[in-house]
Amino acid sequence: MSGQGMNLTLRVWRQAGSEDKGEFRFYQLNNVSEHMSFLEMLDVLNEQLIKLGEEPVAFDHDCREGICGMCSLMINGQAHGPDNETTTCQLHMRRFRDGDTITIEPWRAKAFPVIRDLVVDRTSFDRVISAGGFVSVNAGNAPDANCLPVPKQDQEKAMDAAACIGCGACVAACKNASAMLFTSAKVSQMSLLPQGKPERARRVLNMVARMDEEGFGSCTNTSECEAACPAGISVDNIARLNREYLKAVVFSDEGI
Amino acid sequence: MAITGLLLCGFLVVHLAGNLLLFAGAEAYNAYAHKLHDNEDLLHVAETGLALIFFTHLYLAFKLSAENRIARGRGYAENQSKRQDLISKVRPESWMLATGLGLLAYMILHLADFTLEFRDTSHYEGLAPFDKAVSLLNDPISIIGYLVGFAFLFAHLSHGISSAFQSLGLNHPKYNAVIKWSGLAFALALAIGNASLVFWAQSQ
Repeated sequence: MSGQGMNLTLRVWRQAGSEDKGEFRFYQLNNVSEHMSFLEMLDVLNEQLIKLGEEPVAFDHDCREGICGMCSLMINGQAHGPDNETTTCQLHMRRFRDGDTITIEPWRAKAFPVIRDLVVDRTSFDRVISAGGFVSVNAGNAPDANCLPVPKQDQEKAMDAAACIGCGACVAACKNASAMLFTSAKVSQMSLLPQGKPERARRVLNMVARMDEEGFGSCTNTSECEAACPAGISVDNIARLNREYLKAVVFSDEGI
Repeated sequence: MAITGLLLCGFLVVHLAGNLLLFAGAEAYNAYAHKLHDNEDLLHVAETGLALIFFTHLYLAFKLSAENRIARGRGYAENQSKRQDLISKVRPESWMLATGLGLLAYMILHLADFTLEFRDTSHYEGLAPFDKAVSLLNDPISIIGYLVGFAFLFAHLSHGISSAFQSLGLNHPKYNAVIKWSGLAFALALAIGNASLVFWAQSQ
């Protein structure tokens, strides 16, 4: 391990509150270890700011192991930084070079208003889920696993879709701030499995309607979301959502 | 957007197929043109239908673009793609509105030439459809305008076709590559087919 760390210039979005106009501020951070994660680097920056008597930079984080979906950050214009299928917390400083200037911005979307600095309000995702991202079952003992045969392919596709951690990188990376990848992953994971089938038409109609109400944009199939997604959710799910939606509009009894 | 776009592609195929009769000679082309105008009522119905599809496509394009801009709100100071399959930084999917507007400009010129006859008509007054077409395709403004228009057409359709299939939910690992490449081939064929008429007219 080299004794000397990196010297970085950080260009960070600072915004005191949702009503504040906000601006970029530059910070010099010296002797940054390449073994630090990106968030640990921000922790060091905040310690430095606190010592100077300044407000620390607010950013979202929780598990710091790429599972919870809390961390966000647009790093040099890329959601979760330069690595594919990696969250900000799993990004390490070895991806950067001594002397780099790193621009750090919050997710930008009308449906994700900035609360403070780099923290955005992502409860619009929760409302999309409450609109239909669930399976209604009576509580009780779990049924015997072999009662409901599920083809292996369907099971795997559903699991792949369920890998979505709801971080919002898809919205952040999309030029239209569309939430189609998120919503389609949630629709797919349930409509592929027998438990989700009874409500599939109502689910897709309600979730899409809620998504539009929240002010997300529409999908123009640029596949930026797929590239930015830390969980590797495929745009095949978006096609599945479109299929489910068309089927629900044309054939289902919903909305009669 | 997907449905109207694919319908417009259908029109382009028929339109190009008809115009390729120029290669078959004056007789065949004139017969086709006259046959087309034999039943004016039917033609008007078809034109109205086409205009409806076209303006729906246009309306949705403006509506969605406006909504999508609002959905972003404040933009990023820096923005970079994370896609690894990109061949170039210039990507047709980021320029759909621009190439669409380019196509609109081309269409205005095209209709002004052939249908509305807004521009100087003296050099083909009274000529048969075949000679009118050749004369118009030798006009310098038309030559440049049309060739640029076909380039816009290729750019627009190179994303438009596969995107339309995806929007309609027509996606399957077995066919995705076929859809992508045949969409590109279709876009190229339409552009080259149309451009070939312009080049051919220079030798007439």
